Amino acid sequence: MPPSIHPVDLIATLRQKHLTPAIVFLTSRRACDEAMEAFDHAKTILPPARQEAIATALARVTEQYPSVAEHPLIPTVQRIGVAAHHAGHLPSWKIAVEELMRQGCLDAVFATTTLAAGVDFPARTVVITQSSIRKSRDFTDLTIGEVQQIAGRAGRRGKDHVGFAVITPSPYIDLGVLTKGLTGHPEAIDSQFTITYPMVLNLLKAHPHEQIQAILAKSFAQFQLNQRAEVLERKLDVVHEQMSPFGPRICTDWITQWHTFDQARRQKSHRHQTQRHEPPDVTARFHFLTPGRVIGLSRSRGIVLRQYRSKGQKSPMVTVLRPDGAVTECPAAIVSEVFDRHFDCEEAPTYPWCTAASFDELSYQLNELPTRLPVLPILVPKEAETIPDSIVQTLGDFPCPTCPSRPACQKDYVVASRLRQEQHRQMKSIQALRTSLWHRFQERVEALQRFGYLTPAAQLTADGDWARLIRIDHSLLITELIRAEAFTGAEPAVLTGVMASIAHDDDRPGAFPRISPGLSSLLGQVRKLAETLSPYEDPPLLRADVAALAERWIGDPNLTWIGLCRTTTMAEGDIYRLLARTLEFLSQLHTLKATHPGLADTASQAIALIRRGVLEELP
Amino acid sequence: MTTDELEKLLAQQPVALLHRLARGRVHRHFRAGKRRLIELLLQHSANNRAGFESDLLTLIGERQHQPAPPAAAQPAPRPHRTSTPPHGRRPHRAPEPESNEPGISLAEWLEGIGVPAPQPFVPDPWQIEALAALAETDVVVSVPTGSGKTYVAVEAARRAMDENRTVIYTSPLKALSNTKYTEFSKIFGVDRVGILTGDRQDNGQAPLLIMTTEILRNLLYDAASGEIDVRLDTLGLVIMDESQYLADPERGVVWEETIVFCPSQAKLLLLSASIGNPQDIADWLTSIRPTACRLVRHSKRTVPLRAGYLHPNGKLAPLFRTAGIPYGHPSHLHPEAKRLFREYEDDTQPSRHRS
Repeated sequence: MPPSIHPVDLIATLRQKHLTPAIVFLTSRRACDEAMEAFDHAKTILPPARQEAIATALARVTEQYPSVAEHPLIPTVQRIGVAAHHAGHLPSWKIAVEELMRQGCLDAVFATTTLAAGVDFPARTVVITQSSIRKSRDFTDLTIGEVQQIAGRAGRRGKDHVGFAVITPSPYIDLGVLTKGLTGHPEAIDSQFTITYPMVLNLLKAHPHEQIQAILAKSFAQFQLNQRAEVLERKLDVVHEQMSPFGPRICTDWITQWHTFDQARRQKSHRHQTQRHEPPDVTARFHFLTPGRVIGLSRSRGIVLRQYRSKGQKSPMVTVLRPDGAVTECPAAIVSEVFDRHFDCEEAPTYPWCTAASFDELSYQLNELPTRLPVLPILVPKEAETIPDSIVQTLGDFPCPTCPSRPACQKDYVVASRLRQEQHRQMKSIQALRTSLWHRFQERVEALQRFGYLTPAAQLTADGDWARLIRIDHSLLITELIRAEAFTGAEPAVLTGVMASIAHDDDRPGAFPRISPGLSSLLGQVRKLAETLSPYEDPPLLRADVAALAERWIGDPNLTWIGLCRTTTMAEGDIYRLLARTLEFLSQLHTLKATHPGLADTASQAIALIRRGVLEELP
Repeated sequence: MTTDELEKLLAQQPVALLHRLARGRVHRHFRAGKRRLIELLLQHSANNRAGFESDLLTLIGERQHQPAPPAAAQPAPRPHRTSTPPHGRRPHRAPEPESNEPGISLAEWLEGIGVPAPQPFVPDPWQIEALAALAETDVVVSVPTGSGKTYVAVEAARRAMDENRTVIYTSPLKALSNTKYTEFSKIFGVDRVGILTGDRQDNGQAPLLIMTTEILRNLLYDAASGEIDVRLDTLGLVIMDESQYLADPERGVVWEETIVFCPSQAKLLLLSASIGNPQDIADWLTSIRPTACRLVRHSKRTVPLRAGYLHPNGKLAPLFRTAGIPYGHPSHLHPEAKRLFREYEDDTQPSRHRS
């Protein structure tokens, strides 16, 4: 059995059951194109009357958008009555398909799920073939909202009694996702508020710094944070209530009081168990007396073979290899120096505590040692016991031992201190929820101050005053480029190339048209700058091939759209979107005409040059 | 009801109902067995006995297909919800079909297919409600795709323009802006509709302006910083289509900025597909705008939807046992669809294991 239904059979079945017109959502653009190719050899063709209808409808659209006329899909569309509609097509083609669909000329449209929101035409039937969607490189399951958005295209008001959502499986489909999506309640939406640099600059332009917190508090982000804070506050109220039996007693803050007292008591009792009668310098040194270490004794030197604690007193001991091959046991206290010299020593479980070979080696090394050796600097901690001592001295000062509420305190302490910890935790998180937006804003302000767009008093500098007009992604990179005068004297084509590479955020591979040396060196500078700005702003992809493509379109006014498409493997819809987005970026540069007349002028020249052919058809 | 009676009543209920009841009341209720669950619920009920009992009765009532007693019909009011419009019911409360009922036949499923007789257009009650509310205050509309949000937008724009007010209509995508531009030009006439993009203005002085949300945000920033656009004084209505884009990871922030900075004399009309928490959006608008925002929501589709399953060999079957979509019951699959899909999985899976 085939892994999924053949497009021709699919359309035949839909027609037979009167389920047309239909929108068939497929996984990828390629799947849509292949589905259209599958109809090349299909025998079922439309009756002439319907072919006529399609032709006249198309002719009407072509009047307004001439680029539709040359579309390679037109013969198939006319013959079979199906079309493809996805982001790889020009907007004019999509408008044509939508128009045909609205007039009821088509039986089916193959579309991608990615733009379910952009597919603004209904049909009687929607065919779903997948349960996941490609989102920035990997596939994620469709959410309930997305499934309902897709299924919602089924059923035209006034033209259908019922709409149909038909699921047809393809490999890796998960029926559960789709059934849940169809029957479920859509997900709650969450704020995606981020604080951008242009937002900071524009806010500070219009409002004094101290009013900003109140403005940020009006965001949906803060509204949702407050909701979460309220939940925590309710929990906090519960904790408060639980705390009520543990209110003030003889002393107001008896929990802290008991806590300190308890600590002090514990400290005292521990002290006797842990204390060893050995000076701190011996304790500190003992860690370094590992096998192989060269040490100095009162008259001679030796190499440690093992370290251990004596059985009765647990005093630190070492076994030392002496110059004439003698092995002696001695307390660590008599070691006078620890040298900064260490030999490899293969340990053994029995006398002489190392293998014969390394014993010989060590004996040899010991005799060969130079007369002067560097001493290992060992930090000896100060008397560690002083602090507990002071507490112990004050233990008598505590009122607790004789206090009448002592049994109660002792009994309740565990519960009360746990509750109080929880209370503190909740209060901290509430505080964080209430102020996190403001802190994020402050971070941005600090970054802008560092770059000199804001004065230390958070006023806009001269640079900040024009930089706030750049309100697009990667605004910091663009304003920094302008300040570095990277565009001074740049040709419109070069400027467009750089803007295109900043604007383009798609990582679909494309072919590589030739790039001019001027643009390529400028792009190198931009990359370097973007790299240094990366702690403050995510760097754009800065692809050289899209830069070259945009440069081509500007640089050669005789280049036709078809000619441009031939230089690259990018889909024409993608090229269109690239140039449209570049236009948007250039028009932002154009707003700087008051402060940067040269740049604004170049930008408007570039805009005029971009706007021709296909790009002039739509506003 | 005494505690004993309550306990007995709880013990008679299936455990699934108890879990539904425990949702939001008992922490980690899904870990508890039935007896323990009843114990926990009783413990909890001490706090709010009346609310607990009414919820219990509602759930039992739903289960038995009987109209619940009037006191119990209203679910326990949530403290922070202010006004629930009549359409605000949750969609899950559709009557539950019996689980052992056989699925409907394909013929029944396909029944009613076709084109209805042309009827004069009658606006739905929710559309009238939204338009009436818009005369006084901001409105959030959350309805399923294809219910006729555009009608509300057009009528609202017409009314505002009749009062010599400027209307701004924003959409998330340039492509949608273009479609709406063509559509609105046909309705209102070419000279009354304009479109603004980043680099071009077509008929920018028209009373109805179409633009993407980013453009409106920029206009509002310019107005705030003193480069006053005179038109903002006469701005009477801002329509934001597809406002579920508020949750878009990259662009959602623009919607928030736009709403926060929208002039207070202009009314806001937020049109959105079905989302889970439209009440939150409305509450948010109420908290930042001068008048209390009105939420209009409903989840019933104008044209009913049916789901089907098409096997790769061309066999068509209903997807669910019922003709319509069984809301809240994803497992009520049609036996035929279930069988076909299992067959499909058996046929496609082994090859994956072998390779």
